[in-house]
Order: sequence, then structure tokens, then C-alpha cells
Amino acid sequence: MPVTFTFGEMLSARSVIGTTLAELGETHENLWVLTPDIGATLVEFRDKYPDRFVDVGLAEQVCVGIAAGLAYDGNIPVVSGMLPFLSMRALEQIRTDVCYPNLPVKIIGTHGGLVGNGGSTHYAVEDLALMCALTNMTVTSIGDPAMVGEILRQSMSMTGPLYIRLAVGKSDKVLYEPGQHDIRIGKGIVAREGSDVTIFTHGTVVAQALEAAESLAEDGRSVRVVDMFTLKPIDADLVVQCAEETGGRFVVVEDHLAYGGLASRIADVVVDRGIHLTAFERLGIPQVYAGFGGDEELRDKHGYGLTATIAATRRAIAAKP
Amino acid sequence: MDNDLMETEQRHSVAELEDLAFELRSKLLQLCGTYEGAVHIGGDLSSADIFTALFHYGLHVDPDDISNPTRDRFLLSKGHAAVCMYIAMSMRGFFSYEGIVDTYGLLDSAYGMHPCKVQLPGVEASTGSLGHGLPIAVGMALSARHRGETHRVVCLLGDGETGEGSVWEAAMAARSNELGNLVAFVDRNRQLMTSFDGERVVLEPYPDKWAAFGWNVIQVNGHDMGELVSAIDRFPATDSNRPTVIICDTVKGKGVDFMEANLAWHAGSLNPTDLARALAALESGRTHSSAAEKETV
Ligand SMILES: Cc1ncc(C[n+]2csc(CCOP(=O)(O)OP(=O)(O)O)c2C)c(N)n1
Repeated sequence: MPVTFTFGEMLSARSVIGTTLAELGETHENLWVLTPDIGATLVEFRDKYPDRFVDVGLAEQVCVGIAAGLAYDGNIPVVSGMLPFLSMRALEQIRTDVCYPNLPVKIIGTHGGLVGNGGSTHYAVEDLALMCALTNMTVTSIGDPAMVGEILRQSMSMTGPLYIRLAVGKSDKVLYEPGQHDIRIGKGIVAREGSDVTIFTHGTVVAQALEAAESLAEDGRSVRVVDMFTLKPIDADLVVQCAEETGGRFVVVEDHLAYGGLASRIADVVVDRGIHLTAFERLGIPQVYAGFGGDEELRDKHGYGLTATIAATRRAIAAKP
Repeated sequence: MDNDLMETEQRHSVAELEDLAFELRSKLLQLCGTYEGAVHIGGDLSSADIFTALFHYGLHVDPDDISNPTRDRFLLSKGHAAVCMYIAMSMRGFFSYEGIVDTYGLLDSAYGMHPCKVQLPGVEASTGSLGHGLPIAVGMALSARHRGETHRVVCLLGDGETGEGSVWEAAMAARSNELGNLVAFVDRNRQLMTSFDGERVVLEPYPDKWAAFGWNVIQVNGHDMGELVSAIDRFPATDSNRPTVIICDTVKGKGVDFMEANLAWHAGSLNPTDLARALAALESGRTHSSAAEKETV
């Protein structure tokens, strides 16, 4: 059963992963799904293709190692799990067994950002910095739950590794109308047009950035929102274009360490392309172990919630050239 | 150096420990009924008797002196059972139960889903990512050995957790360093998060694995307080040269019939109706077992 979805409604990204993989298993006989005991939403694939489903139990390192072995032999392995453990416990396997030989292994998982209230063992907040550092790795972070299916489909023809980051993935708002945007790995999505300032963002906080833009529109502010869901390779041309079209005013909001994630990727483009900016506001997780609390509470506490986003956007608009 | 905490402690009888374990389970269920989010209730209930035996019988610890260098160290490697540890520790006088129930999982609470040593002094290590506790325990045991201290380092692991390679690397290091002052408890409930042992992951021959790594292996029924107590009584001397593992046969969700051996209850929450059902199930299990005991006497 394909998942049906409607713009603006809540949808579980996990169920999209489950059904998309089951669908792709049919067209791609070399598609394998592997998990370290996080397989609850992979049941459909497991039941249809038990021979191509591997649950290794609590063993992230061997999970990625096995995926590499399968890929060496011409298969397309998808490793699905929790990102703090995949991106850190299995980091060397990802780097040396997957990225070094440039194998088409996909790592997809949840718990990117301060989400799920598990505490710092269970928040992947350094993962994008780690993954972006790896040669050959393509790095994505997805907020729109419906988009996950599209990205997985596109990834089938990729020849190298791919990292797909989700938040909790149980229930998120569908952000884009079907067919509204040309969704392609490596291309940023202009989720909302605007000319005063650009908010660059990714993952769960895209919805928050859109809300901030909406609220500023009531004051007559024209805020562009770019869903930069591919962090690597970064859509540098879009960054240049936004600098030209929104007065060199940038705000970056992300559910990741403020240094090392999207803000750093954009800052690199700014320096490398010699862009002159009027404002650069960087909102994300400071260098602390964030503690417990609800997702929104933690964003507010650590200075990258809705109110902070609106305030930073106002500052950027007010900045003197 | 003598373990000066030993002299000051009075040890509970098996019957008293059983009552404490019952109280621990009731309090856990109450919390699961009040907290809005999911609680790892399955693995809490399977460990409840082990926690009780340790905090009320086995461990030489002093809630009023949490940094006493001679205290036994307890590490919760299966960190998702944190709330069960918090409550067991509260019953031993470390924390207040009200403080736990009132703030668990809330913003800035010290009592979170996984234990954080910085936020909650009294717990010995920050854990939650599985496969980390035993290596840290090896470090603590080595340090105690080096300093000539006679306390023990005790570590509780999940059986699923022992799929992590780091557990076996630590097991090898413990044997290589002849750490007789190290004791691991494994909550052998034969369930991982999404499957039963044997379905997709085969852990057996389980005791043989530990024996092959050179450990003393003791197997007990992890819900039989008498067996847990006698295993604790048989801890080898801390200056002996082999680490010990107590493999505790348990049932995930133990004490609440609809949670027992049910994958749906790895983690969950209880609405008022289910809470009442759960407490009733717990109560009836208790009456049955004490009736059965009387019959056998
Ligand atoms: C490294 C790591 N991987 C995955 C998880 C998510 N997780 C938490 S509990 C659990 C199952 C643990 O099974 P077991 O050790 O047998 O614990 P128990 O059944 O006693 O709850 C999983 C997969 C984690 N906390 N850490």
C-alpha cells in the first residue's frame, strides 16, 4: 500500500521509508535493507524480501561493514537505524569501508538534532559535520516527510554513498505540494520567495523557518526560505543568487551544532566565492550537551526556536550595508 | 584498605527484598502512568529484581556519602533502564521518589531517559548508548586495583546489548588484566528491541561465550531473590584474578501479564485504564507467588 499524503497534513517519514523500500525492492532486485535492531518500520520490506533483509541486532559497526561487502558485490544496501549510533559508532566503517571505495551504500536514520528527549547519547548533533568531512559522501537532511520517498528513489542510481538525516520521523507536516518543486539531490529548494533576506535551513526546522517568514510577512517583510536539504555537495550557485537577490542578508537556522553544519558550509561558499554579505546570523546548537526536554523547549532554550529565528531575521533585515 | 562501608550496613532478608522489588515495580508503573512520553518499561521490569538485590543487598554504597572512595561502583550499561535505577536508588535513600515522578523527562530535569552523571551526581556514569558501560567499568576496576582499593565494580548489561563488539573487547581486557573486582550482570530476557533472541540474532550458546573469554559464569533466575542473593554471596574475593558474570534469566515486562515477553512493550506509556490493569496484574502475580510458596513449605 503506497502512503498517500496531503499538503499541510501530518505524515510519518518512517512509514514513507518502509513503503518506499518495499516498492523499490520490487524494481531493484539488488536492493538490501540492513538494520541494527531498529527495524520496526521496515516490516513491509522484511516480509516481502526476507532474503534481502538483515537485522544484525545491537551492532552498528558490523551492520555498515556488511553493507559494504554487499555493495562490493554489486548490491544496493540501505542501512536504517538511529543516527547518533550509526554516525559515531560506525564512523570508521562509513569512512573506510564505504566512502573510501566509493560504494553505493545509503545510511538513513532518525534522531538528527535535539529531538526525542533521549538526552545527549540519543541526539545526533555532530553528524552533519562528521559526514560532510568524508570524501565521496553525499549528505542530506530532510524535513518534509513526503520527500524522503523521492530521495530514496533518486538514490537508486547513485554510484557513491549517501547519508539521509531525519528527526524523529513519526509525525511531521507535509511542506510541499506534490510537483510544486523540482526536488533533486544537490539542489536547494526555494520553499518561499522573498527579497529582504534569506533563511537557509534544513530538516525539522524548515517548518519553523516558514512560520517565521509567515509571521514577518504580516509586518510587510519579504523573507525567502531555502530548504538546503543537500549539505554536500552544497548548491553554491543558489547561495550566490540569494546573496544577490536578498541584499546579502543571510540567516541560517539548523538543528545541529551551530558550527560545523549548514552555516559552516554556507560560510565556506561565501568565502570561496568572494561574496560580500551585509548580515550573517547563525542559529543552531551551542557547544553544550543539551539535556532533556521536549523538541520545541530545547530549541527555545538553546536559542534557535521560532522566537529567536524571527528576532535574528529582523536583525539581518535591519543590518546596515 | 578495608571496605569501611561494609560494617555500617544492615542487610535485608530475602522476604524483605521481595517486598522492595514489588514496591519498585509499583512505583515504576505509577510513573509510566503519569509521564506523557514512552518509558522503557519492558527492560525496567525485567531488571527490577536485579536492581533491588544490588541496591538493597549487594552494593556497599552510602547515599549520604556519594563520593566515598571505598564505595562499590555501579554502572548501568543498559542505560535505557535509567528510571528503574533512579527509583531503586530513591528507595535506598539517594533521591526522592517525588522528585523523580514530578520532573522525569521534563525540561532541565536531572532525571532523564538515560542517566547523566553531570546532571545527577550519585549515578556513576553517563550511559544510554549501548556497549559503553563495560569498557568504563574495566577502567574503574583497573584504577581500584592500582590504588589497592577493595571495592567492586558492578555493571548491568542487556543481553541484546552484548551484540556490540565493544562488550567483548572489554570482556577480553577484563580477563587479560585479571580483574576479579569486576562483576557483570546480564539481564538475559531474550528480547532485543524488535525481535526475540533466536529469531534474527542468535545469542546462544550464551554462557559458553563468557566462559570462552575466561570469565567465571554464574547463572541464576533473575526473578528469584534467593538465587540473586546467593550469587551475590558467592562473589569472588576482589583480589582474585577472574572477572565474574551473573547471567540472570529474566522475562521482559516481568510482573505485568500483558507486557511479558511482548515486543510491543519494549517502551510504552500507560493510560489510566491500562495503569489500573497493570497494577492489578502485578498485585495478582504477587498473591499467586506467595500462595505457591506456602504450598511448597
Ligand atoms: C548503541 C545503541 N544502539 C541502539 C540503541 C537503541 N536501543 C535502545 S534499547 C535497545 C534494545 C536493547 O536490548 P537489550 O540490551 O536486550 O535491553 P532490554 O531488552 O533489557 O531492554 C535498542 C536497540 C541504543 N540505545 N544504543
